[in-house]
Amino acid sequence: MGLKEYAIRRGAETIVTFFVLMLIGFFLFRVMPGDPTAILILNPKIPPQTRQMLRKQLGLDKPLEVQFLYFIKNFFKGQFGYSFHTGQPVIRMILGYRLWNTLILVGSSVVIAILLGVLLGVIAAQRRGSKLDVSLITVSLTFYSMPVFWLGMLLLIVFSVHYNIFPLGGTVSAGMHYSSWWSYAADYLRHLTLPLISLVLIQIGYNFLIVRNTLIDILTEDYISAVRAKGLPEKIVLYKHALRNAMLPLTTIIALELAGIFTGAVLTETVFSLDGLGSLLYEAVDTRDYPVLQGLFALIMVSFLVANYAADIIYALLDPRVRYK
Amino acid sequence: MAAIIEEYLSEMKRKAADFWSLYRRNKFGMVGLVILLFFVFLAVAADYIAPYGQWQTNVAPPFSPPSRQHLLGADEMGRDLFSLFIYGSRVSLIIGITAALLSTFIGGLVGLISGYMGGWVDDLLMRVTEAFLAIPAIVLMIIFAAILGPSFTNIIMVIAIVSWAPIARIIRSQVLVVKELPYVEAARSVGAGSGRLMFKHIFPNVTPLLFANMILQISGAILAEAALSFLGLGDPHHTSWGMLLHYAYDNGALAAGYWWYVVPPGVGILLLVLSFVFIGYALDEIVNPRLRH
Repeated sequence: MGLKEYAIRRGAETIVTFFVLMLIGFFLFRVMPGDPTAILILNPKIPPQTRQMLRKQLGLDKPLEVQFLYFIKNFFKGQFGYSFHTGQPVIRMILGYRLWNTLILVGSSVVIAILLGVLLGVIAAQRRGSKLDVSLITVSLTFYSMPVFWLGMLLLIVFSVHYNIFPLGGTVSAGMHYSSWWSYAADYLRHLTLPLISLVLIQIGYNFLIVRNTLIDILTEDYISAVRAKGLPEKIVLYKHALRNAMLPLTTIIALELAGIFTGAVLTETVFSLDGLGSLLYEAVDTRDYPVLQGLFALIMVSFLVANYAADIIYALLDPRVRYK
Repeated sequence: MAAIIEEYLSEMKRKAADFWSLYRRNKFGMVGLVILLFFVFLAVAADYIAPYGQWQTNVAPPFSPPSRQHLLGADEMGRDLFSLFIYGSRVSLIIGITAALLSTFIGGLVGLISGYMGGWVDDLLMRVTEAFLAIPAIVLMIIFAAILGPSFTNIIMVIAIVSWAPIARIIRSQVLVVKELPYVEAARSVGAGSGRLMFKHIFPNVTPLLFANMILQISGAILAEAALSFLGLGDPHHTSWGMLLHYAYDNGALAAGYWWYVVPPGVGILLLVLSFVFIGYALDEIVNPRLRH
């Protein structure tokens, strides 16, 4: 199978998966609570007339299959309605600064965690079974087992409350006027540091173990023995020949882990009161802001499907064996 | 008949002894087992060890620091945090294990059917599996939990619903290998039906893999319960470690520097999850021949 056919087949599969997710989303939001407007009763701020209006507006008096078509149509038009809480259009609440804050937090944490994970993985694989190796495994399994929000709370108690080095939370200092673009960036980074550290620490352990185990596996393969027999120095064997192949599984695993990293980001943003998509999700549940929840579900679902598809194609580009399976 | 059973039992005993002698030599595995047994003891004997009940308020001044009478201090209602810590182990263990059993069951069944049947059944089930893999668990978990409402059984169901997919995928690929083995072919040729082939012949061959993955599922489920409770979506009738962290956060324990309220519940979650991770790591080294030294 050529790359083009592979891309088309995976694309078709992704589209089917998209409709499966739409169906799940539809059932979550339309069928399970009776109807989505039922949730409004829980919010005393909303008058009963609004519920009637909304039922009509959402087409809830129509049969289920018609409702599902509406659901898909509104999705493609980006119409997720207005937030019950702020009155703003949902699409604008999601695709604004909050999206950027989350992207910056998640993106930089993934990059830093890969670099550190690879570095530590190489060190441990070279010294397999040594004290250093065993302690690195123990430490990474420990961080892997740690609730990310608790790690954040510990960092806050130590560095914000006890030593007062970093702020207690927020994206930037409230009500502050910045003399320059530079001072804004500095303030932003000061607020980002602790959340970033917690999210990186949670990921390193996993990356480390993957790189270490794949490298150990690869180092026993014939082609490595051949390179060694040629008399190449161990450093070149490791970095030029072994590490290249060890990075392959890491790319797929990180694409698969992206969903898990987002979960970590939601919790981290909540602990540090960062204005991101994660904290928006939490607030939307807290205030029963149904249109926001639905919009978030749709946006997150589509971006993860696209990311998975992209990862598959990139992997097929890097490793031709996948295409010919 | 009795002889067959006896033979079977002695075979099982021999296998268990073999396994144990391998497992005993694994340091990670033994440390994990000891930690786990400690928490199982706490959970079972909670009523006898805990100095105060879960709902006994005002036994100490609110937020009081650790003292001789109250080893871990008190919460905002003056409850003894040491007792709450002990009771918290129950929720984590029960929810973690039941949710993992349920998700392993769903994932195993989907993987078995998908791998064995192939064709459109496989296609459909794999698209559903992919859907669940693609979307971050917390999004579904928060929405499900908010809709279903906070109860013990709902939390177990929510965690199982969001975590079965990886198992389905792993088991499916193993089934694809096993179903081509000659003994399965032989069983089919003597007239074994689909159900018999799947459950009697293929299933036993994937159980070690299923078991090793279930152990890892437990650690994931414990973390998921902690996250849900921390977000305030837990069952308020059962104090869990995640819920203690929720109350600590909500009542400003961080800004006030009440570390005794924040540190112990997290240590509990960490150690319990770590015990299962260690056990899983050891099982992987024993079951997976590529990692054996």
